[in-house]
Amino acid sequence: MHELARSLTQSFPTLLGADEPASIARAIEGADLGWAGLILIFPAVSAILCGLCAILKVKGKLPGAITAVSLLAAFVVTFLLYWNCPTDAPRTIHLFDWISFDWLTGPGAEPSAWRAFSAPFALYIDSLTLLWMLFVTGLGTLIAIYATEYMEGDVGKGYARFFGSVSIFLFAMGSLVMGGNLILLYLGWEGVGLASYLLIGYHYSKPSAVAAAKKAFIMNRIGDLGLALAIFLIWWNYDTVSYDALFAAVAAEPAAGASEWSKAAIPFCLMLGAFGKSAQIPLYVWLPDAMEGPTPVSALIHAATMVTAGLYLIARLFPLFELHPLALPTVAWIGCATALLAATIGMAQYDIKRVMAYSTVSQLGYMFLGLGVGTTFGAVYHVFTHAFFKALLFLCCGAIMHGMAGQLDLRKMSGLRNVPGFRIISWTFLVGCLCLAGFPFTAGFFSKDSIIAEAFVSDVPGASALGFLALFTAFLTAYYTFRVWFRVCGGPVKYEPGDEIHGHGDDDHGHDHGHDHGHDHGHGQAHGHGHGHGHGHSHGHGEWHPHGPRLAINGVLLLICVGALLAAVPSYLQMSGQPNWVQTMVTNSSAIAGASGHHGADGSHALSFTGIEDVHKATSVVASVVGVGGILVALFFHLLNRGAADRLRAALLSNGLTRWLPLLMENKWYVDEAYHIVVRAPARGIGHLLYLIDKLFIDGFVVNGAARVPAEVGRLFQPLYNGALQGYAATMAGGVALIAAWIFWVWLSGG
Amino acid sequence: MDTIPAHLLAAAPMAAKLTLIAPEILLFAGSVVVAVLGLSRATAMRRAVPFVTALFLAASIVVTALVYRSGAVAESGLLLPALGGYAKALIAAIAIPLVMVVGSSIDRKLEEAFETGRAPFDPIRTMRGEYFAFFLLSIAGTMLIANASDLIWLFLALELASLPTYVMVAVSRGTRRAQEAAVKYFFLGALSAATFLYGFALLYGATGTLELGPMRDALAQQAAAGALPTLAIVGGVLAILGIAFKLAAVPMHFYAPDVYEGAGAGTTAFLGIMPKIAGVLALMVLLSVFGWSGHGVMEAGQYIAVDGLPLPLSAVLWMVAVLTMVLGNIGALLQRNVKRMLAYSSIAQSGYLLMGVIAGPKAGFDAVLFYLLGYGVMNTAVFAVLASLERNGEEVETLDDLAGLRLRHPVLAWMLAISAVSLIGMPPLIGFFGKLALFSAALEAGQTALVIIAAVNSAIGAYYYLQLVAVPMLGQPTARTESVQTVPSAWPRFAAIICGVGVAVLPVVLPQLFDAASSATPEAARPVRANIDADGAAPSPATVSAGSTTDEVPDAKQAG
Repeated sequence: MHELARSLTQSFPTLLGADEPASIARAIEGADLGWAGLILIFPAVSAILCGLCAILKVKGKLPGAITAVSLLAAFVVTFLLYWNCPTDAPRTIHLFDWISFDWLTGPGAEPSAWRAFSAPFALYIDSLTLLWMLFVTGLGTLIAIYATEYMEGDVGKGYARFFGSVSIFLFAMGSLVMGGNLILLYLGWEGVGLASYLLIGYHYSKPSAVAAAKKAFIMNRIGDLGLALAIFLIWWNYDTVSYDALFAAVAAEPAAGASEWSKAAIPFCLMLGAFGKSAQIPLYVWLPDAMEGPTPVSALIHAATMVTAGLYLIARLFPLFELHPLALPTVAWIGCATALLAATIGMAQYDIKRVMAYSTVSQLGYMFLGLGVGTTFGAVYHVFTHAFFKALLFLCCGAIMHGMAGQLDLRKMSGLRNVPGFRIISWTFLVGCLCLAGFPFTAGFFSKDSIIAEAFVSDVPGASALGFLALFTAFLTAYYTFRVWFRVCGGPVKYEPGDEIHGHGDDDHGHDHGHDHGHDHGHGQAHGHGHGHGHGHSHGHGEWHPHGPRLAINGVLLLICVGALLAAVPSYLQMSGQPNWVQTMVTNSSAIAGASGHHGADGSHALSFTGIEDVHKATSVVASVVGVGGILVALFFHLLNRGAADRLRAALLSNGLTRWLPLLMENKWYVDEAYHIVVRAPARGIGHLLYLIDKLFIDGFVVNGAARVPAEVGRLFQPLYNGALQGYAATMAGGVALIAAWIFWVWLSGG
Repeated sequence: MDTIPAHLLAAAPMAAKLTLIAPEILLFAGSVVVAVLGLSRATAMRRAVPFVTALFLAASIVVTALVYRSGAVAESGLLLPALGGYAKALIAAIAIPLVMVVGSSIDRKLEEAFETGRAPFDPIRTMRGEYFAFFLLSIAGTMLIANASDLIWLFLALELASLPTYVMVAVSRGTRRAQEAAVKYFFLGALSAATFLYGFALLYGATGTLELGPMRDALAQQAAAGALPTLAIVGGVLAILGIAFKLAAVPMHFYAPDVYEGAGAGTTAFLGIMPKIAGVLALMVLLSVFGWSGHGVMEAGQYIAVDGLPLPLSAVLWMVAVLTMVLGNIGALLQRNVKRMLAYSSIAQSGYLLMGVIAGPKAGFDAVLFYLLGYGVMNTAVFAVLASLERNGEEVETLDDLAGLRLRHPVLAWMLAISAVSLIGMPPLIGFFGKLALFSAALEAGQTALVIIAAVNSAIGAYYYLQLVAVPMLGQPTARTESVQTVPSAWPRFAAIICGVGVAVLPVVLPQLFDAASSATPEAARPVRANIDADGAAPSPATVSAGSTTDEVPDAKQAG
């Protein structure tokens, strides 16, 4: 049989068959760790079981239980792997042959020039992978438990669909992080994109959710194009997509194989992919809209794990980013700009989930800044701490939303710390806010400082500008974080329910019923900004009372809160002279290669005005001051003197010179609108034009014409099939005679 | 070991031949048993007929496996000695779900009458026993083709495969249309038999032998001496065209729509696959006398052996393949009657099969054998769905009857959809891999034009196959479909599910299936060149293997 068919059949997973001898030799090192594949199998099985639950119309919390248990199992396996697998050197665990082609190049007669493309289903385990998988599976488990209670309103309808998608996400994330080659990474990359799309559009009857899902998907496609091109270029230049071979090829001879332009193209294409998935300028606009998904999803996918995939990509392929001198500085500047831009937008939002979404974008910017200035440790440490405290913040927002019937407007809630049932939420929320604001001696403080300090001393062009911008952003971060907390949890007790009294996704009521309804929990604050949210009230909410969360939600909040606090422990150990655990994990991975070369040549740094020689200490002091300052400003405007904020806003608006500032910030710098004019409108125009051409010429003339030909020809032959035996016999005999005659005359008469 | 008596040595080929046809002998015995059982007065006995039939088929698979594992194959002296191992197992394996599909539909009304006492038991009127007896006979005939060692055997095996089917069509349902179909089928079948018999006679005339091995050597010698005799070429062409009837290939395809429409759905399923297997096997066996690689041409005083058939024969096959694909697909486009549509589609499928035959033993045979397996499963699944449904006691026939099937019989609708999608050749279903194997085999044999034509035809085919997906899945039920319901027996539905799931699941063991198909055409199956002796000089290995594709076949006229 033909080689193509052969090789395609071989590409089918031969799970049951024995491995090829060659692949055994390759994987001999990790052969005894084959059970690590369970980390991927558990979520996959869970996804299938959830699918079965959906088909069998299971009523009850079974899908949630299945998912929580299998994610817990995956976490346990991950932990065992961490325990058993020495992390000093990366190892490849070959599970089975997956894609394997080889073919002859050049004209057939040439001496064989075989090229091969092989992407086995293998896991690449090193400390970076383990670090990532530990918090992905750990947080995944906790959030799945949280969701079993959070999603209970949808039991039966979408419960199985929700948990099935979460399982798919965990499987894909595992494949992304643990995959031993770029093809598996791409599989996971697309898989998490799919899961994200499914979950953002979870309330598919709600037009805004559908639009958000599509926006996320399309924005990610742009990034994915970059990643796909980068993988192709990597294979083209280095002839491999497996990490071990790739790193060896890049390290051995950086110039070998790769042409100059591809050395520039590879890191920038990879960057495009990373910026899309991790919501950086210019592809960040999808993430705030992604908050349309259920809150556990926002916490898991759009705050803690999936959005860090871009970071992982850059950290994993760090050696490739050193191919071009401008690659890492670009990352640093984009990250810093994103951090600042998103922070300014976050300051002016009223929807607490949206504030958190912009803060996610902003914190991701910090992480990219960290990567760009060469402190992979700082970036990864921030990923790690951020995963905990941002998940915590989102889960708190979700719990508030759950209890307040979908209310998310910070102007309509106040003093929740004194509302029965909301106390745990309020205090865990405070812990999350302190971490995010970088309050001294919290986890976020240490990780953020290590980034800012490195920014000051790096040799990236404009390093000190980066440092000061990062410090300024830290100030804004502290301000908008505590703006939320002081508004929602501080102050006198006041609240009104959201528009979900009739159930989740029931959006029809909110918008049409006017603002002038009387309401029991009313308050005097004017709301003049009808941008986007529906602030309507449902009928008969007089008897409505907020309901606090129960065990699953409260328990998970407390656990993650403890996790967020414990995330600072590595830094305390470091201060006491012991090695920082996270740093060890990062140093032992591919993410460290050459990173030390980015320190500025001289020891002098921009913070020398503080009089402290050690830049890390100097940054700590300055950042503490900045963070506390931001909190104090928020305290003044949003707890002590709430009217002042509105007066300031009004003053800014009334002044012709300054009115652009609040307008731009509240309208998200009009980026969506700009994209609409610059990209979407022309694309639509071209689309309409092509549609017309297609409709009139291609469809109307070419396709329909071609389609009509066979049918007309068929009609031509129809009389032959008249059902009469004699006719058939005559035609058959005639046919035989014709063919025999043809053969006779053409080939045999001359002979 | 002591010395073996001389008479035993002489009998060895015969003994080997008889060993190889043990599965067929078993099926013969089965047909007798079944025929007798069907006449029994006891309802349970008559009811057991399909089960016994299936049992014998299953046993024949086991026997095939045992026989072909023994050394008997090597001593058989056949041109394609290993062909039978895969082919017989395939035939019996596909026949088992076919038994399920036909199952209780034969004599259903009569049995009901017996049971309710409306009619007294009358063995003359029962048909079930004889239907399944003929069923087994036809299967046995199809299997025998793979073992044919001479033209008489080949002819008899072909007739044994054909003649029972005429009866099966006639009794498959109690309507006049079935009888009309049977009569048409019989007369046109006789015409085709006459055609290939004439071809066989000419081949005998050209070579002076009926045995395939010596015939191959004689033809090779004639080719080496100059060119193949005209008589042999014309004989080959007529034999191909006669066998084309079994495949329902142009120009012998006219009967197919009428016969498929007239026969009961289960019997149509049988007609859709078994005669095709018979035809393909017959072509493989017959065309091996033209040597595939054993024939050659003289060029510049040197003998050059080439792969592939002599040009005139491959040209005929090429034209037949193209016309079959095109006319089959075009015919199917206009049909609203599902069985007629499938009849035309099966004509088109024969065109694809011929593509693999043209590609020859090295590249194409295993692809064709593999495709037959996939096609057998898909074909059975589709007809099993049709056989599972009835409307007012009649078979469902038109697409309109299937509208909105998903809402009332979701499983059947899904099975129909998945098989139709597989027939289009969509990955990752079995049909895709079958087509992939065929197309790549033809590409390897240098038949690029043929592959392009086949690909275009596949696209046309998608149009009508997708109707089998769209109408049941997306169509709205009408007043007409209200009366569509499943038949009382669950066996056709069971067969539909087995085959429908098989379409999706078989690709999992794809490498094993490919290997099994390849094992039917081992290197040993290719003719040896020992007897070729042009101008007294044996050809050197280098020149023998010089050519590799049919592209390099020089014109026969130049050779002459």
